[in-house]
Amino acid sequence: MSALTFTLKTAPAQRIDCSPLTPDALAEKSLADIAAIELQTGNTTTRVDSLFDVSGEDTNEIAFVANSDKLDFIGHSMTQGRIRVIGNAGAYVGIFMDGGEIEINGNTGIYTACEMKSGQIKVNGNTGDFVGGARPGRKNGMTGGTVIITGNSGDRTGDHMRRGMILIEGNAGDYCAARMVSGTIAVLGDTGAHLGYAMKRGTVLLTQTPSRGISANFNDCGSHTLAFLPLLFASFAKLDSKFAQVESFSRVQRYAGDLAGIGMGEILVKI
Amino acid sequence: MIINGVTIDATFAEAFPMKGTRIIITAHNAKWAMISAQAFTGFATSVIACGCEAGIERELDPSETPDGRHGVAVLIFAMGGKGLAKQVETRAGQCVLTSPTSALFSGVDGETEMALGQNLRFFGDGFQISKMIDGKRYWRIPVMDGEFLTQEKTGVVSSVGGGNFLVLAESQAQALAACEAAIEEMKKIPNVIMPFPGGVVRSGSKVGSKYKALNASTNDAFCPTLKGQTKSDLSPEVESVMEIVIDGLTKEDIDKAMRVGIQAVCDLGAENGIRRISAGNYGGKLGPFHFHLQEIMA
Repeated sequence: MSALTFTLKTAPAQRIDCSPLTPDALAEKSLADIAAIELQTGNTTTRVDSLFDVSGEDTNEIAFVANSDKLDFIGHSMTQGRIRVIGNAGAYVGIFMDGGEIEINGNTGIYTACEMKSGQIKVNGNTGDFVGGARPGRKNGMTGGTVIITGNSGDRTGDHMRRGMILIEGNAGDYCAARMVSGTIAVLGDTGAHLGYAMKRGTVLLTQTPSRGISANFNDCGSHTLAFLPLLFASFAKLDSKFAQVESFSRVQRYAGDLAGIGMGEILVKI
Repeated sequence: MIINGVTIDATFAEAFPMKGTRIIITAHNAKWAMISAQAFTGFATSVIACGCEAGIERELDPSETPDGRHGVAVLIFAMGGKGLAKQVETRAGQCVLTSPTSALFSGVDGETEMALGQNLRFFGDGFQISKMIDGKRYWRIPVMDGEFLTQEKTGVVSSVGGGNFLVLAESQAQALAACEAAIEEMKKIPNVIMPFPGGVVRSGSKVGSKYKALNASTNDAFCPTLKGQTKSDLSPEVESVMEIVIDGLTKEDIDKAMRVGIQAVCDLGAENGIRRISAGNYGGKLGPFHFHLQEIMA
């Protein structure tokens, strides 16, 4: 069976809510049923076949051929299957995701992996702000799963993040790990200003000293050999990511903070 | 059945269901991993008074351990899941957490899970850090030499305890040499331990006692000094009897261990003073697992 493919006909004028187009929601549906689904676009609804050319039949393997940053909520609450986007995607990719896999061959908008619970999202490009974050007013961001970003992430990556892993092969923006509750963020590149602002718990793992330095709210705990790091790197080995090639290390400089709060978070910098 | 002049009795060993788990202790080097494992498995020869039976299964190369350091695989068994959990927790807390450079991991996926480092984390007094890696939770507990890393849970496996055989020899030295040879071979079998000192027990017991407070006492039928005093099971030329007890994750594992152990004893044969191989049982009424010696050696 070939992948169920949605090819965008024209660049949309309004944002499109793609949340009904997931492997879970489309299972057992015929092509005609799928074509007739009404998607929220701006303040109205539009049939799927008015927006996309629909082909293929495997609802467990969905592809979007759509280079538009207006396709929102791709993979909303999905629990299994795979979604591939050829081109850019919009906001809230993988929101509430609880299994399966999403791969974006382009950039994503804000709130990628928002309140994600499980599964894997790989962005072969850059992401917007609030990766793995919580919706405004909510206290818990992503609670599980893995996000791989081959490019750079926007500001406030891991905001309110509770569990899971965000792996950034490029640079992270400002306020990375801000208000982070727990989990792991690893960055191969540089990080922006205010790293770990109001961070409660969790780990930020860096392979290089941040060019903007470590905030005064983090205290230097010295250099250490941490036994969990080899396990972490071993878990990276199966990933399709530069992290799989990173040579395992366990010697790090440990900074604890944000001491303006409970100060139980840590920034580990390779030494 | 006679092998190399050694009589294999037409009897069987009787064993019991137990709950078991495997844990992996790693450390800075093999020496310290072994020290920690030896402490963990200390005073764990018999459930009769130790609460559990534990032993070192084998040493592990760095390539075989979760954190890439030298390690030791340990098996521990108890009569029930609760008892096992209590023993694992107290031993891990007092013997592994305290041991320099150590880390503690689960070495088996079981039907159910129980706490490994789950409660040890409170030693961290709030500074402990949880890490979920590949779906398994680990605890990083700050200690004076750095950080103690422990997996949160380990698997509980329905196991078998009490497989055994007796070596009847013409002298104490010959019985001991035969048992040493057996243990050497049995240690190569995975999933089993021989929990007694050096793998050998010289004080095999029978059920019951003339003293009401005791539920086990010396196995007088196999005590050579009592040949003329009790209903002895020993012929005049037998002067010493030693027993090897085996606990394993499955009945098949114990089968294999008994086979190689008995074979090693028989290889020494009658010319080295080995007369008989027998086994301990309770008439087959207490334990559901029966290891018939002649079937095993057939």
